Amino acid sequence: MKLAGALLIILASTAAGWLWGLMLRKRRKNLADLRRLLQWLETEIGYNLLPLREAFFRISQRLQGEVSLFATAFIRFLDGPEGLTAGEAWQKTIESCREKLVLAAPDWMILEDLGCNLGTTDREHQLKAIREGIERIEIQETAAEERAAKNEKLYRYLGMAAGTLTVLLFY
Amino acid sequence: MFRAVTLYYKLGRVLRMRMEGAKEATVAGIREVLMYMAPCLRRTLEKMGEVLQELEEIRLRAGQPLQVETGLASTLVTPEGLFTDRKERALRVAEEDILRCLQLMGENSLYTLEEELKEGFITLPGGHRVGLAGECLAENGRLVRVKRVTALNLRIAREAIGSSRPVLPFLVAGERPLRVMIISPPQAGKTTLLRDIVRSFSNGEGVPAPVKVGLVDERGEIAGCFRGVPQLDVGIRTDVLSGCPKQDGILLLLRSMSPQVIATDEIGRPADLRVIEEVLNAGVGFIVTAHAWDTQDLSLRPVLREIWLQGLVEKVIILSRRYGSGTLEGIWDGKTKKALPVKPVRLGVEN
Repeated sequence: MKLAGALLIILASTAAGWLWGLMLRKRRKNLADLRRLLQWLETEIGYNLLPLREAFFRISQRLQGEVSLFATAFIRFLDGPEGLTAGEAWQKTIESCREKLVLAAPDWMILEDLGCNLGTTDREHQLKAIREGIERIEIQETAAEERAAKNEKLYRYLGMAAGTLTVLLFY
Repeated sequence: MFRAVTLYYKLGRVLRMRMEGAKEATVAGIREVLMYMAPCLRRTLEKMGEVLQELEEIRLRAGQPLQVETGLASTLVTPEGLFTDRKERALRVAEEDILRCLQLMGENSLYTLEEELKEGFITLPGGHRVGLAGECLAENGRLVRVKRVTALNLRIAREAIGSSRPVLPFLVAGERPLRVMIISPPQAGKTTLLRDIVRSFSNGEGVPAPVKVGLVDERGEIAGCFRGVPQLDVGIRTDVLSGCPKQDGILLLLRSMSPQVIATDEIGRPADLRVIEEVLNAGVGFIVTAHAWDTQDLSLRPVLREIWLQGLVEKVIILSRRYGSGTLEGIWDGKTKKALPVKPVRLGVEN
């Protein structure tokens, strides 16, 4: 019985460490997808002069995973009967996707800042804001990569070690 | 109060006449327009019920009461959707509401409206035109764009299918389409009549034979094009150039599409005269519209005067708002300069 309990503790803490590592990897992927989303948005606005709804529809077709859900949620809020502005729809999208995307607080802040002027200024200012968003995401991406490279394995081993230590302490 | 009651009575009468005639697809047009209104304004306007069909203009000014114009009167609207002439009872439009409308009109993407903000108007799908006013940005004495929009005037495009029927026999000589000018004061239904004449010529309805029509729709009001495709019925043999300057568009159509009739809206600039001469040389009929009250007023305007006195137009149709928008006042012969025996009638209602 004791042995089974000990095994369970070790397994659970190993899984927790492994999950923590996975989260780091997922955040990196989400950030890369968000960067891609903004790069495509820059093209759709800058060259094709598409309205946001159409631009996000095209982007959602190309993207996969959670960030694609972000794009489709934004379209849904824009199309809603409340007649939301792009900024309001963007904010609602952020709120609805907080649980779905693995992002840190500064990443959400970048998205929130981007939503402030979304669709309300001329093309030049829209592109400027999008480029700024891309640059800020790239900085976060680099930091996330470094952190993942440094800590991913560490978290996995740490999880197992913490489980083993707990078992040893109480055994 | 008395005015409001009278207005309701008059509107009720016109509405009944409309329903009997039942030719205008205005309900769909109004629904289209309401989609572009800020939610609080939309709710108020929806409360107006059947009267909505009579609206010709919705005027929004920041900090001012909500105003609507029908064929008969200009009036204010309360938050309950009732007419009033007391401004303190009317729904006050906030600048925020105007911005919201503008965002909805630009599909939440104001950057797609840069050209429109420069021109001062937006054409919505369905041909509804929105005039803009507010704080402008100018450079070197030239307007760059309206940078802060504080007033909107929404003109609802009407499709009065069959309204041109009474005038069509006067617009052809045998099978040849004549050179025609429609004149009227603003909001008297010039564009609506032009659209229906184009549709009838193009489909061969009410004329001896169908003709190919080249339509230069500079402001996008006639055909109501959305991404180049007409949203309003302009006939099956009509080639539309939307958003194209009149002079370039007419010459382009003459060169490339071999039209039998050229149609365009609101002429009056010196360059228009030269282009009309080109059309004349090409042996093609035309239908144009212009702002003028009557033939006397026509003679006072430099360009229109030339067109009228030189006999470049063969028929002049005069519209007014006497019995509501689209009242046919008369048809004049361009050569004899005499009025033809036509009794005043409201097109699209009685016929």
